[in-house]
Amino acid sequence: MNQLLNFLFRYNQLILEGLQETMYMVGLSLLFAVLLGVPLGVITTITREDNIFPNKAINNLLNGVINIGRSIPFIILLVAVIPFTRMIVGTSIGTTAAVVPLALAAIPFMGRIVDNALLEIDQGVIESAEAMGATPWQIVYKVLLPEALPAIILGITLTAISLVSYSAMAGAVGGGGLGDIAIRYGYQRFKLGIMIETIIILVVVVQLIQWAGNKLANSFDHRN
Amino acid sequence: MISVKNLTKRYNSSQGDIEAISGINLKVAAGEIFGIIGPSGAGKSTLIRTLNLLEKPTKGEIIIDNTELTSLSAALLRKERQKIAMIFQHFNLLSSRTVRGNVSFPLEIAGIAKKERKQRVKRLIELVGLSDRADHYPAQLSGGQKQRVGIARALANDPQVLLSDEATSSLDPESTKSILKLLSRIRDELNLTIILITHEMEVIKEVCDRVAVIEAGKIIEEGTVLEIFSKPKKPLTKKFIKSVIDFELPPRVAEYLSDSQHKPGILLRVSFLGENTHQPLISYLVKKFDIDANILYGNIDEIQRVPFGTLVIDLEGKKEKLSASIQFLQEQGLQVEVLEGESIT
Ligand SMILES: Nc1ncnc2c1ncn2[C@@H]1O[C@H](COP(=O)(O)OP(=O)(O)OP(=O)(O)O)[C@@H](O)[C@H]1O
Ligand SMILES: [Mg+2]
Repeated sequence: MNQLLNFLFRYNQLILEGLQETMYMVGLSLLFAVLLGVPLGVITTITREDNIFPNKAINNLLNGVINIGRSIPFIILLVAVIPFTRMIVGTSIGTTAAVVPLALAAIPFMGRIVDNALLEIDQGVIESAEAMGATPWQIVYKVLLPEALPAIILGITLTAISLVSYSAMAGAVGGGGLGDIAIRYGYQRFKLGIMIETIIILVVVVQLIQWAGNKLANSFDHRN
Repeated sequence: MISVKNLTKRYNSSQGDIEAISGINLKVAAGEIFGIIGPSGAGKSTLIRTLNLLEKPTKGEIIIDNTELTSLSAALLRKERQKIAMIFQHFNLLSSRTVRGNVSFPLEIAGIAKKERKQRVKRLIELVGLSDRADHYPAQLSGGQKQRVGIARALANDPQVLLSDEATSSLDPESTKSILKLLSRIRDELNLTIILITHEMEVIKEVCDRVAVIEAGKIIEEGTVLEIFSKPKKPLTKKFIKSVIDFELPPRVAEYLSDSQHKPGILLRVSFLGENTHQPLISYLVKKFDIDANILYGNIDEIQRVPFGTLVIDLEGKKEKLSASIQFLQEQGLQVEVLEGESIT
Protein backbone atom coordinates (compact mmCIF):
# COMPACT_ATOMS: atom_id res chain seq x y z
CA MET A 1 0.00 0.00 0.00
CA ASN A 2 2.72 2.39 1.05
CA GLN A 3 4.65 1.43 -1.98
CA LEU A 4 1.70 2.18 -4.14
CA LEU A 5 1.22 5.59 -2.55
CA ASN A 6 4.88 6.36 -2.98
CA PHE A 7 4.62 5.32 -6.55
CA LEU A 8 1.64 7.54 -7.03
CA PHE A 9 3.07 10.58 -5.33
CA ARG A 10 6.51 10.64 -6.82
CA TYR A 11 5.50 13.56 -8.91
CA ASN A 12 3.76 15.47 -6.16
CA GLN A 13 5.35 18.81 -6.97
CA LEU A 14 4.62 18.50 -10.64
CA ILE A 15 1.01 17.59 -10.09
CA LEU A 16 0.45 20.30 -7.55
CA GLU A 17 1.65 22.85 -10.04
CA GLY A 18 -0.57 21.34 -12.69
CA LEU A 19 -3.55 21.55 -10.37
CA GLN A 20 -2.80 25.19 -9.67
CA GLU A 21 -2.59 25.94 -13.36
CA THR A 22 -5.85 24.17 -14.01
CA MET A 23 -7.56 26.10 -11.23
CA TYR A 24 -6.19 29.35 -12.64
CA MET A 25 -7.45 28.63 -16.14
CA VAL A 26 -10.84 27.43 -14.97
CA GLY A 27 -11.28 30.18 -12.40
CA LEU A 28 -10.38 33.04 -14.69
CA SER A 29 -12.36 31.81 -17.68
CA LEU A 30 -15.33 31.08 -15.40
CA LEU A 31 -15.14 34.64 -14.13
CA PHE A 32 -15.37 35.94 -17.70
CA ALA A 33 -18.13 33.48 -18.48
CA VAL A 34 -20.21 34.79 -15.59
CA LEU A 35 -19.42 38.46 -16.15
CA LEU A 36 -20.30 38.32 -19.83
CA GLY A 37 -22.50 35.23 -20.11
CA VAL A 38 -25.07 36.35 -17.54
CA PRO A 39 -25.78 39.69 -19.25
CA LEU A 40 -25.77 37.89 -22.60
CA GLY A 41 -28.41 35.47 -21.34
CA VAL A 42 -30.47 38.16 -19.65
CA ILE A 43 -30.56 40.40 -22.71
CA THR A 44 -31.39 37.45 -24.94
CA THR A 45 -34.33 36.55 -22.74
CA ILE A 46 -35.83 39.98 -22.20
CA THR A 47 -35.60 40.97 -25.87
CA ARG A 48 -37.75 38.02 -26.86
CA GLU A 49 -41.15 38.75 -28.27
CA ASP A 50 -43.71 38.93 -25.42
CA ASN A 51 -40.99 39.51 -22.86
CA ILE A 52 -40.34 42.67 -20.88
CA PHE A 53 -38.11 44.43 -23.41
CA PRO A 54 -38.98 43.07 -26.85
CA ASN A 55 -36.42 43.83 -29.54
CA LYS A 56 -36.31 41.48 -32.45
CA ALA A 57 -33.04 42.75 -33.91
CA ILE A 58 -31.04 42.43 -30.69
CA ASN A 59 -32.65 39.12 -29.91
CA ASN A 60 -31.80 37.64 -33.30
CA LEU A 61 -28.24 38.91 -33.07
CA LEU A 62 -27.57 37.51 -29.57
CA ASN A 63 -29.30 34.26 -30.32
CA GLY A 64 -27.08 33.94 -33.37
CA VAL A 65 -23.94 34.70 -31.36
CA ILE A 66 -24.86 32.07 -28.76
CA ASN A 67 -25.71 29.45 -31.35
CA ILE A 68 -22.58 30.01 -33.42
CA GLY A 69 -20.38 30.10 -30.32
CA ARG A 70 -21.84 26.86 -29.11
CA SER A 71 -21.63 25.02 -32.39
CA ILE A 72 -17.88 25.49 -32.98
CA PRO A 73 -16.02 22.41 -31.68
CA PHE A 74 -13.67 23.51 -28.91
CA ILE A 75 -10.61 21.99 -30.50
CA ILE A 76 -11.19 24.16 -33.58
CA LEU A 77 -11.92 27.26 -31.56
CA LEU A 78 -8.66 26.65 -29.71
CA VAL A 79 -6.67 26.97 -32.90
CA ALA A 80 -8.84 29.51 -34.66
CA VAL A 81 -8.52 32.14 -31.96
CA ILE A 82 -4.72 32.03 -31.76
CA PRO A 83 -4.29 35.35 -33.60
CA PHE A 84 -6.88 36.95 -31.35
CA THR A 85 -5.17 35.54 -28.26
CA ARG A 86 -1.83 36.92 -29.39
CA MET A 87 -3.44 40.27 -29.85
CA ILE A 88 -4.76 40.56 -26.32
CA VAL A 89 -2.38 38.40 -24.26
CA GLY A 90 0.74 38.90 -26.33
CA THR A 91 1.40 35.20 -26.67
CA SER A 92 -0.56 32.11 -27.62
CA ILE A 93 1.25 29.81 -25.21
CA GLY A 94 0.77 29.44 -21.49
CA THR A 95 -2.09 29.32 -19.04
CA THR A 96 -3.11 32.95 -19.47
CA ALA A 97 -3.31 32.49 -23.22
CA ALA A 98 -5.44 29.39 -22.69
CA VAL A 99 -7.98 31.47 -20.80
CA VAL A 100 -8.97 33.25 -24.02
CA PRO A 101 -10.40 30.27 -25.93
CA LEU A 102 -11.82 28.83 -22.69
CA ALA A 103 -13.69 32.03 -21.92
CA LEU A 104 -14.84 32.34 -25.53
CA ALA A 105 -16.33 28.88 -25.36
CA ALA A 106 -17.85 29.35 -21.91
CA ILE A 107 -19.54 32.73 -22.48
CA PRO A 108 -22.16 31.55 -25.00
CA PHE A 109 -22.61 28.33 -23.02
CA MET A 110 -23.34 30.35 -19.90
CA GLY A 111 -25.52 32.71 -21.93
CA ARG A 112 -27.78 29.89 -23.05
CA ILE A 113 -27.97 28.45 -19.55
CA VAL A 114 -29.05 31.81 -18.11
CA ASP A 115 -31.52 32.30 -20.96
CA ASN A 116 -33.10 28.92 -20.19
CA ALA A 117 -33.12 29.55 -16.45
CA LEU A 118 -34.93 32.86 -16.90
CA LEU A 119 -37.50 31.36 -19.23
CA GLU A 120 -38.40 28.87 -16.50
CA ILE A 121 -39.70 31.66 -14.27
CA ASP A 122 -43.47 31.78 -13.98
CA GLN A 123 -44.79 34.41 -16.40
CA GLY A 124 -47.35 35.46 -13.79
CA VAL A 125 -44.65 36.59 -11.37
CA ILE A 126 -43.08 38.81 -14.00
CA GLU A 127 -46.48 40.14 -14.94
CA SER A 128 -47.31 41.02 -11.36
CA ALA A 129 -44.12 43.10 -11.21
CA GLU A 130 -45.14 44.86 -14.43
CA ALA A 131 -48.57 45.51 -12.97
CA MET A 132 -46.87 47.19 -10.00
CA GLY A 133 -45.10 49.56 -12.34
CA ALA A 134 -41.62 48.03 -12.24
CA THR A 135 -39.18 49.09 -14.95
CA PRO A 136 -37.56 46.39 -17.11
CA TRP A 137 -34.30 46.94 -15.23
CA GLN A 138 -36.04 46.54 -11.85
CA ILE A 139 -37.66 43.37 -13.10
CA VAL A 140 -34.26 42.03 -14.14
CA TYR A 141 -32.47 42.55 -10.87
CA LYS A 142 -35.36 42.20 -8.44
CA VAL A 143 -37.34 39.42 -10.09
CA LEU A 144 -35.55 37.55 -12.86
CA LEU A 145 -32.10 37.13 -11.34
CA PRO A 146 -33.18 36.34 -7.74
CA GLU A 147 -35.90 33.95 -8.89
CA ALA A 148 -33.53 32.14 -11.24
CA LEU A 149 -30.56 32.21 -8.88
CA PRO A 150 -30.62 28.51 -7.92
CA ALA A 151 -30.79 27.51 -11.58
CA ILE A 152 -28.05 30.00 -12.48
CA ILE A 153 -25.77 28.65 -9.74
CA LEU A 154 -26.28 25.13 -11.08
CA GLY A 155 -25.52 26.51 -14.53
CA ILE A 156 -22.28 28.06 -13.31
CA THR A 157 -21.41 24.70 -11.74
CA LEU A 158 -22.02 22.96 -15.03
CA THR A 159 -19.92 25.55 -16.86
CA ALA A 160 -17.10 25.16 -14.34
CA ILE A 161 -17.05 21.40 -14.84
CA SER A 162 -17.07 21.75 -18.60
CA LEU A 163 -14.18 24.18 -18.25
CA VAL A 164 -12.20 21.65 -16.25
CA SER A 165 -12.38 19.19 -19.09
CA TYR A 166 -11.85 21.84 -21.79
CA SER A 167 -8.86 23.16 -19.85
CA ALA A 168 -7.26 19.73 -20.17
CA MET A 169 -7.61 20.08 -23.90
CA ALA A 170 -6.29 23.64 -23.89
CA GLY A 171 -3.42 22.48 -21.72
CA ALA A 172 -2.43 19.92 -24.27
CA VAL A 173 -1.73 22.62 -26.82
CA GLY A 174 0.60 24.56 -24.60
CA GLY A 175 -1.55 25.79 -21.78
CA GLY A 176 -0.21 23.70 -18.93
CA GLY A 177 -2.38 22.27 -16.23
CA LEU A 178 -3.30 18.74 -15.29
CA GLY A 179 -4.42 17.74 -18.77
CA ASP A 180 -1.08 18.76 -20.15
CA ILE A 181 0.71 16.65 -17.53
CA ALA A 182 -1.52 13.66 -18.16
CA ILE A 183 -0.73 13.76 -21.84
CA ARG A 184 2.94 14.64 -21.72
CA TYR A 185 3.94 12.28 -18.93
CA GLY A 186 1.20 9.72 -18.88
CA TYR A 187 0.48 9.26 -22.53
CA GLN A 188 3.66 10.25 -24.33
CA ARG A 189 6.13 8.85 -21.78
CA PHE A 190 4.05 5.90 -20.67
CA LYS A 191 4.05 6.96 -17.01
CA LEU A 192 0.82 5.28 -16.09
CA GLY A 193 1.04 6.44 -12.44
CA ILE A 194 0.93 10.07 -13.38
CA MET A 195 -1.88 9.48 -15.76
CA ILE A 196 -3.94 7.76 -13.06
CA GLU A 197 -3.08 10.34 -10.47
CA THR A 198 -4.13 13.28 -12.63
CA ILE A 199 -7.32 11.53 -13.54
CA ILE A 200 -8.11 10.87 -9.88
CA ILE A 201 -7.46 14.48 -9.05
CA LEU A 202 -9.66 15.68 -11.90
CA VAL A 203 -12.46 13.37 -10.75
CA VAL A 204 -12.15 14.70 -7.21
CA VAL A 205 -12.12 18.32 -8.42
CA VAL A 206 -15.24 17.75 -10.50
CA GLN A 207 -17.01 16.04 -7.59
CA LEU A 208 -16.11 18.90 -5.28
CA ILE A 209 -17.35 21.55 -7.71
CA GLN A 210 -20.64 19.70 -8.19
CA TRP A 211 -21.08 19.19 -4.46
CA ALA A 212 -20.42 22.83 -3.64
CA GLY A 213 -22.66 23.99 -6.49
CA ASN A 214 -25.55 21.83 -5.34
CA LYS A 215 -25.14 23.01 -1.78
CA LEU A 216 -25.07 26.65 -2.75
CA ALA A 217 -27.99 26.35 -5.15
CA ASN A 218 -30.03 24.60 -2.48
CA SER A 219 -29.38 27.31 0.05
CA PHE A 220 -30.93 29.86 -2.32
CA ASP A 221 -33.85 27.69 -3.33
CA HIS A 222 -37.02 28.45 -1.35
CA ARG A 223 -39.49 27.04 -3.83
CA ASN A 224 -40.43 24.18 -1.54
CA MET B 1 -63.40 56.43 -10.37
CA ILE B 2 -63.19 54.01 -13.26
CA SER B 3 -64.72 54.59 -16.62
CA VAL B 4 -64.32 52.26 -19.55
CA LYS B 5 -65.52 53.23 -23.00
CA ASN B 6 -66.04 50.96 -25.96
CA LEU B 7 -63.18 48.70 -24.90
CA THR B 8 -62.30 46.08 -27.48
CA LYS B 9 -59.48 43.56 -27.59
CA ARG B 10 -58.84 41.49 -30.67
CA TYR B 11 -56.23 38.74 -30.70
CA ASN B 12 -54.68 37.93 -34.05
CA SER B 13 -53.73 34.32 -34.17
CA SER B 14 -52.88 31.97 -36.98
CA GLN B 15 -56.34 30.40 -36.69
CA GLY B 16 -57.91 33.78 -37.31
CA ASP B 17 -58.88 36.74 -35.18
CA ILE B 18 -60.62 36.38 -31.86
CA GLU B 19 -62.45 39.29 -30.34
CA ALA B 20 -62.00 38.47 -26.66
CA ILE B 21 -63.94 41.55 -25.53
CA SER B 22 -65.98 43.81 -27.74
CA GLY B 23 -67.32 47.25 -27.00
CA ILE B 24 -67.32 47.08 -23.22
CA ASN B 25 -68.66 50.12 -21.37
CA LEU B 26 -68.37 50.36 -17.60
CA LYS B 27 -68.55 52.95 -14.88
CA VAL B 28 -67.45 52.12 -11.37
CA ALA B 29 -67.81 54.59 -8.52
CA ALA B 30 -65.16 55.22 -5.85
CA GLY B 31 -65.44 52.82 -2.94
CA GLU B 32 -67.54 50.37 -4.89
CA ILE B 33 -66.93 46.65 -5.16
CA PHE B 34 -67.83 45.80 -8.71
CA GLY B 35 -68.06 42.17 -9.77
CA ILE B 36 -67.73 40.78 -13.25
CA ILE B 37 -68.99 37.27 -13.72
CA GLY B 38 -69.03 35.09 -16.79
CA PRO B 39 -68.40 31.57 -18.00
CA SER B 40 -64.97 30.31 -19.05
CA GLY B 41 -63.69 32.05 -22.15
CA ALA B 42 -66.12 34.96 -21.82
CA GLY B 43 -63.27 37.46 -21.71
CA LYS B 44 -63.11 38.21 -17.98
CA SER B 45 -59.34 37.93 -17.66
CA THR B 46 -58.85 39.86 -20.87
CA LEU B 47 -61.08 42.64 -19.59
CA ILE B 48 -59.41 43.03 -16.21
CA ARG B 49 -55.94 42.76 -17.74
CA THR B 50 -56.68 45.54 -20.20
CA LEU B 51 -57.70 47.78 -17.31
CA ASN B 52 -54.07 48.20 -16.24
CA LEU B 53 -52.82 47.67 -19.77
CA LEU B 54 -51.18 44.32 -19.12
CA GLU B 55 -53.08 43.65 -22.33
CA LYS B 56 -53.10 46.46 -24.87
CA PRO B 57 -56.65 47.18 -26.01
CA THR B 58 -57.36 47.26 -29.73
CA LYS B 59 -59.86 50.06 -29.26
CA GLY B 60 -61.43 52.07 -26.49
CA GLU B 61 -60.64 54.23 -23.50
CA ILE B 62 -59.78 53.45 -19.91
CA ILE B 63 -60.09 56.34 -17.50
CA ILE B 64 -59.00 55.72 -13.93
CA ASP B 65 -59.09 58.62 -11.50
CA ASN B 66 -59.38 61.13 -14.37
CA THR B 67 -56.37 59.76 -16.22
CA GLU B 68 -56.79 58.17 -19.60
CA LEU B 69 -54.40 55.22 -19.58
CA THR B 70 -54.15 54.11 -23.20
CA SER B 71 -52.48 57.35 -24.30
CA LEU B 72 -49.82 57.42 -21.55
CA SER B 73 -46.12 56.99 -22.23
CA ALA B 74 -44.45 53.89 -20.78
CA ALA B 75 -42.94 55.87 -17.90
CA LEU B 76 -46.19 57.61 -16.97
CA LEU B 77 -48.08 54.35 -17.23
CA ARG B 78 -45.67 52.75 -14.74
CA LYS B 79 -46.35 55.63 -12.34
CA GLU B 80 -50.11 55.15 -12.74
CA ARG B 81 -49.83 51.41 -12.24
CA GLN B 82 -48.51 51.95 -8.74
CA LYS B 83 -51.99 53.26 -7.93
CA ILE B 84 -53.77 50.35 -9.59
CA ALA B 85 -53.07 47.25 -7.56
CA MET B 86 -53.77 43.74 -8.71
CA ILE B 87 -54.17 40.35 -7.08
CA PHE B 88 -54.07 37.06 -8.93
CA GLN B 89 -55.54 33.58 -8.88
CA HIS B 90 -52.10 32.02 -8.51
CA PHE B 91 -50.83 34.73 -6.16
CA ASN B 92 -47.67 35.36 -8.23
CA LEU B 93 -45.44 35.91 -5.21
CA LEU B 94 -41.66 35.95 -5.47
CA SER B 95 -40.52 32.54 -4.26
CA SER B 96 -37.09 33.93 -3.45
CA ARG B 97 -38.45 36.45 -0.95
CA THR B 98 -40.10 36.04 2.43
CA VAL B 99 -43.51 37.49 3.25
CA ARG B 100 -41.75 40.65 4.39
CA GLY B 101 -39.66 40.77 1.22
CA ASN B 102 -42.68 40.29 -1.00
CA VAL B 103 -44.61 43.10 0.67
CA SER B 104 -41.55 45.31 0.49
CA PHE B 105 -41.15 44.72 -3.24
CA PRO B 106 -43.66 47.30 -4.58
CA LEU B 107 -42.28 49.87 -2.13
CA GLU B 108 -38.78 49.31 -3.48
CA ILE B 109 -40.14 49.83 -6.97
CA ALA B 110 -41.75 53.07 -5.90
CA GLY B 111 -38.44 54.17 -4.41
CA ILE B 112 -39.59 54.44 -0.78
CA ALA B 113 -36.72 54.95 1.66
CA LYS B 114 -35.66 51.94 3.67
CA LYS B 115 -36.78 53.18 7.06
CA GLU B 116 -40.27 54.05 5.97
CA ARG B 117 -40.45 50.87 3.95
CA LYS B 118 -39.82 48.76 7.02
CA GLN B 119 -42.57 50.46 8.98
CA ARG B 120 -45.09 50.21 6.17
CA VAL B 121 -44.29 46.56 5.58
CA LYS B 122 -44.84 45.81 9.23
CA ARG B 123 -48.17 47.61 9.24
CA LEU B 124 -49.35 45.91 6.06
CA ILE B 125 -48.45 42.47 7.36
CA GLU B 126 -50.39 43.23 10.53
CA LEU B 127 -53.35 44.44 8.48
CA VAL B 128 -53.68 41.07 6.76
CA GLY B 129 -53.01 39.14 9.95
CA LEU B 130 -49.72 37.49 9.05
CA SER B 131 -47.35 38.95 11.64
CA ASP B 132 -46.35 35.50 12.87
CA ARG B 133 -45.45 34.44 9.33
CA ALA B 134 -43.44 37.50 8.29
CA ASP B 135 -40.21 35.56 7.79
CA HIS B 136 -41.73 32.57 6.03
CA TYR B 137 -41.25 31.94 2.35
CA PRO B 138 -44.35 31.60 0.13
CA ALA B 139 -43.75 27.86 -0.21
CA GLN B 140 -44.33 27.55 3.53
CA LEU B 141 -47.76 29.20 3.43
CA SER B 142 -51.28 27.95 2.71
CA GLY B 143 -53.19 29.27 -0.29
CA GLY B 144 -55.24 31.62 1.85
CA GLN B 145 -52.12 32.98 3.53
CA LYS B 146 -50.42 33.47 0.16
CA GLN B 147 -53.38 35.51 -1.02
CA ARG B 148 -53.13 37.61 2.14
CA VAL B 149 -49.54 38.36 1.19
CA GLY B 150 -50.79 39.21 -2.30
CA ILE B 151 -53.29 41.65 -0.79
CA ALA B 152 -50.73 43.23 1.58
CA ARG B 153 -48.39 43.66 -1.38
CA ALA B 154 -51.18 45.14 -3.49
CA LEU B 155 -52.01 47.71 -0.81
CA ALA B 156 -48.40 48.76 -0.26
CA ASN B 157 -48.43 51.90 -2.39
CA ASP B 158 -51.85 53.10 -1.18
CA PRO B 159 -53.68 52.30 -4.38
CA GLN B 160 -57.06 53.73 -5.24
CA VAL B 161 -58.10 50.75 -7.27
CA LEU B 162 -57.69 47.03 -6.69
CA LEU B 163 -58.15 44.60 -9.55
CA SER B 164 -58.79 41.02 -8.55
CA ASP B 165 -58.39 38.33 -11.19
CA GLU B 166 -60.11 35.25 -9.75
CA ALA B 167 -58.32 35.85 -6.46
CA THR B 168 -60.28 33.17 -4.62
CA SER B 169 -60.66 30.62 -7.40
CA SER B 170 -57.90 28.35 -6.20
CA LEU B 171 -58.88 28.54 -2.52
CA ASP B 172 -61.08 26.28 -0.43
CA PRO B 173 -64.49 27.67 0.66
CA GLU B 174 -63.21 28.57 4.12
CA SER B 175 -60.23 30.61 2.86
CA THR B 176 -62.43 32.11 0.15
CA LYS B 177 -64.79 33.46 2.79
CA SER B 178 -61.99 34.94 4.85
CA ILE B 179 -60.29 36.55 1.85
CA LEU B 180 -63.61 38.07 0.74
CA LYS B 181 -64.15 39.37 4.26
CA LEU B 182 -60.71 40.93 4.16
CA LEU B 183 -61.42 42.59 0.80
CA SER B 184 -64.68 43.94 2.11
CA ARG B 185 -62.93 45.25 5.24
CA ILE B 186 -60.15 47.02 3.37
CA ARG B 187 -62.70 48.58 1.08
CA ASP B 188 -64.46 50.03 4.12
CA GLU B 189 -61.25 51.14 5.82
CA LEU B 190 -59.41 52.51 2.82
CA ASN B 191 -62.33 53.48 0.59
CA LEU B 192 -60.75 51.36 -2.10
CA THR B 193 -62.49 50.76 -5.42
CA ILE B 194 -62.41 47.06 -6.21
CA ILE B 195 -63.12 45.33 -9.50
CA LEU B 196 -63.18 41.61 -9.16
CA ILE B 197 -63.77 38.96 -11.73
CA THR B 198 -65.00 35.52 -10.90
CA HIS B 199 -66.93 32.62 -12.29
CA GLU B 200 -68.58 31.97 -8.93
CA MET B 201 -71.87 33.69 -8.10
CA GLU B 202 -71.18 33.01 -4.44
CA VAL B 203 -68.33 35.53 -4.57
CA ILE B 204 -70.59 38.16 -6.14
CA LYS B 205 -73.26 37.53 -3.55
CA GLU B 206 -70.77 37.72 -0.72
CA VAL B 207 -68.99 41.03 -1.40
CA CYS B 208 -70.12 42.91 -4.48
CA ASP B 209 -72.28 46.01 -4.63
CA ARG B 210 -72.84 45.85 -8.35
CA VAL B 211 -72.29 43.17 -10.92
CA ALA B 212 -71.94 42.84 -14.67
CA VAL B 213 -72.54 39.55 -16.44
CA ILE B 214 -70.23 39.01 -19.38
CA GLU B 215 -70.80 36.51 -22.15
CA ALA B 216 -68.78 36.10 -25.34
CA GLY B 217 -66.94 39.38 -24.78
CA LYS B 218 -70.01 41.50 -24.15
CA ILE B 219 -71.75 42.70 -21.02
CA ILE B 220 -75.23 41.23 -21.24
CA GLU B 221 -76.66 42.41 -17.94
CA GLU B 222 -75.64 44.86 -15.26
CA GLY B 223 -77.06 46.18 -12.02
CA THR B 224 -76.88 46.14 -8.26
CA VAL B 225 -76.43 42.68 -6.85
CA LEU B 226 -79.90 42.87 -5.31
CA GLU B 227 -81.48 43.79 -8.64
CA ILE B 228 -79.69 41.04 -10.47
CA PHE B 229 -80.58 38.45 -7.88
CA SER B 230 -84.21 39.43 -7.61
CA LYS B 231 -84.93 40.17 -11.27
CA PRO B 232 -82.47 38.35 -13.48
CA LYS B 233 -83.32 38.79 -17.14
CA LYS B 234 -80.89 36.74 -19.19
CA PRO B 235 -80.81 32.92 -19.06
CA LEU B 236 -77.09 32.96 -18.23
CA THR B 237 -77.72 35.24 -15.27
CA LYS B 238 -80.49 32.95 -14.06
CA LYS B 239 -78.18 30.00 -14.37
CA PHE B 240 -75.54 31.71 -12.24
CA ILE B 241 -78.08 32.61 -9.60
CA LYS B 242 -79.38 29.07 -9.49
CA SER B 243 -75.90 27.97 -8.53
CA VAL B 244 -76.13 29.80 -5.22
CA ILE B 245 -79.83 29.99 -4.51
CA ASP B 246 -81.63 26.75 -4.78
CA PHE B 247 -84.77 27.19 -6.85
CA GLU B 248 -85.21 23.53 -7.45
CA LEU B 249 -87.96 21.91 -5.45
CA PRO B 250 -86.66 19.25 -3.12
CA PRO B 251 -87.70 15.70 -4.13
CA ARG B 252 -90.11 15.53 -1.19
CA VAL B 253 -92.09 18.48 -2.57
CA ALA B 254 -91.96 17.27 -6.13
CA GLU B 255 -93.29 13.94 -5.00
CA TYR B 256 -96.12 15.57 -3.09
CA LEU B 257 -97.08 17.50 -6.19
CA SER B 258 -97.10 14.55 -8.52
CA ASP B 259 -99.37 12.77 -6.06
CA SER B 260 -102.83 13.03 -7.62
CA GLN B 261 -104.37 12.88 -4.17
CA HIS B 262 -103.73 16.49 -3.41
CA LYS B 263 -106.59 18.83 -3.96
CA PRO B 264 -106.56 21.07 -7.03
CA GLY B 265 -105.16 24.53 -6.48
CA ILE B 266 -102.32 26.65 -7.70
CA LEU B 267 -98.68 26.34 -7.00
CA LEU B 268 -96.76 29.59 -6.73
CA ARG B 269 -93.16 30.50 -6.39
CA VAL B 270 -92.90 33.79 -4.56
CA SER B 271 -89.61 35.61 -4.38
CA PHE B 272 -89.20 38.41 -1.94
CA LEU B 273 -86.58 40.90 -1.16
CA GLY B 274 -85.98 43.05 1.87
CA GLU B 275 -88.61 44.29 4.27
CA ASN B 276 -91.43 42.07 3.03
CA THR B 277 -89.95 39.16 4.86
CA HIS B 278 -90.97 40.70 8.12
CA GLN B 279 -94.63 41.04 7.22
CA PRO B 280 -97.04 38.23 7.90
CA LEU B 281 -98.16 38.17 4.28
CA ILE B 282 -99.29 34.60 4.14
CA SER B 283 -101.54 34.74 7.15
CA TYR B 284 -102.96 38.02 5.85
CA LEU B 285 -103.65 36.32 2.51
CA VAL B 286 -105.45 33.45 4.15
CA LYS B 287 -107.66 35.74 6.21
CA LYS B 288 -108.43 38.27 3.52
CA PHE B 289 -109.16 35.94 0.62
CA ASP B 290 -110.47 32.99 2.54
CA ILE B 291 -108.15 30.50 1.00
CA ASP B 292 -105.90 27.74 2.26
CA ALA B 293 -102.18 28.21 1.99
CA ASN B 294 -99.71 25.46 2.34
CA ILE B 295 -96.02 26.34 2.42
CA LEU B 296 -94.17 23.59 0.64
CA TYR B 297 -90.72 24.97 0.58
CA GLY B 298 -88.89 28.03 1.74
CA ASN B 299 -85.43 29.43 1.48
CA ILE B 300 -84.15 32.66 2.92
CA ASP B 301 -80.74 34.07 2.17
CA GLU B 302 -79.05 37.35 2.71
CA ILE B 303 -77.47 39.53 0.08
CA GLN B 304 -75.65 42.49 1.54
CA ARG B 305 -77.57 42.10 4.78
CA VAL B 306 -80.86 42.31 2.93
CA PRO B 307 -83.02 39.22 3.29
CA PHE B 308 -83.78 37.55 0.02
CA GLY B 309 -85.99 34.50 -0.18
CA THR B 310 -88.14 32.16 -2.12
CA LEU B 311 -91.30 30.43 -1.04
CA VAL B 312 -93.17 27.71 -2.84
CA ILE B 313 -96.79 27.78 -1.73
CA ASP B 314 -99.80 25.78 -2.64
CA LEU B 315 -102.99 27.85 -2.60
CA GLU B 316 -106.42 26.32 -2.59
CA GLY B 317 -109.72 28.09 -2.84
CA LYS B 318 -112.14 29.69 -5.25
CA LYS B 319 -110.80 30.60 -8.64
CA GLU B 320 -111.36 34.34 -8.43
CA LYS B 321 -109.96 34.41 -4.89
CA LEU B 322 -106.82 32.75 -6.13
CA SER B 323 -106.23 35.24 -8.90
CA ALA B 324 -106.96 38.08 -6.50
CA SER B 325 -104.35 36.60 -4.17
CA ILE B 326 -101.76 36.61 -6.91
CA GLN B 327 -102.53 40.17 -7.71
CA PHE B 328 -102.28 41.11 -4.06
CA LEU B 329 -98.86 39.52 -3.75
CA GLN B 330 -97.65 41.32 -6.84
CA GLU B 331 -98.93 44.59 -5.47
CA GLN B 332 -96.77 44.00 -2.43
CA GLY B 333 -93.75 44.06 -4.73
CA LEU B 334 -93.16 40.34 -4.78
CA GLN B 335 -92.11 38.32 -7.77
CA VAL B 336 -94.77 35.72 -8.38
CA GLU B 337 -94.38 32.81 -10.71
CA VAL B 338 -97.15 30.28 -11.25
CA LEU B 339 -95.66 26.83 -11.35
CA GLU B 340 -98.90 24.89 -11.76
CA GLY B 341 -102.51 25.70 -12.44
CA GLU B 342 -101.89 28.40 -15.01
CA SER B 343 -105.45 28.24 -16.32
CA ILE B 344 -106.50 30.18 -13.25
CA THR B 345 -104.67 33.40 -14.08
N1 LIG C 1 -53.13 35.73 -25.71
C1 LIG C 1 -54.22 35.30 -26.37
N2 LIG C 1 -54.15 35.02 -27.69
C2 LIG C 1 -55.24 34.61 -28.37
N3 LIG C 1 -56.45 34.43 -27.82
C3 LIG C 1 -56.60 34.69 -26.51
C4 LIG C 1 -55.49 35.13 -25.72
N4 LIG C 1 -55.92 35.31 -24.45
C5 LIG C 1 -57.24 34.99 -24.45
N5 LIG C 1 -57.65 34.62 -25.68
C6 LIG C 1 -59.01 34.23 -26.06
O1 LIG C 1 -59.89 35.24 -25.65
C7 LIG C 1 -61.08 34.68 -25.12
C8 LIG C 1 -61.30 35.19 -23.72
O2 LIG C 1 -60.29 34.68 -22.86
P1 LIG C 1 -60.21 35.05 -21.32
O3 LIG C 1 -58.97 34.44 -20.79
O4 LIG C 1 -60.37 36.51 -21.16
O5 LIG C 1 -61.47 34.30 -20.74
P2 LIG C 1 -61.96 34.17 -19.23
O6 LIG C 1 -63.32 34.70 -19.18
O7 LIG C 1 -60.95 34.75 -18.31
O8 LIG C 1 -62.02 32.59 -19.05
P3 LIG C 1 -61.61 31.69 -17.78
O9 LIG C 1 -62.75 31.76 -16.83
O10 LIG C 1 -61.47 30.33 -18.37
O11 LIG C 1 -60.34 32.22 -17.21
C9 LIG C 1 -60.92 33.18 -25.22
O12 LIG C 1 -61.60 32.74 -26.36
C10 LIG C 1 -59.44 32.98 -25.35
O13 LIG C 1 -59.17 31.83 -26.10
MG1 LIG D 1 -59.59 33.95 -16.77
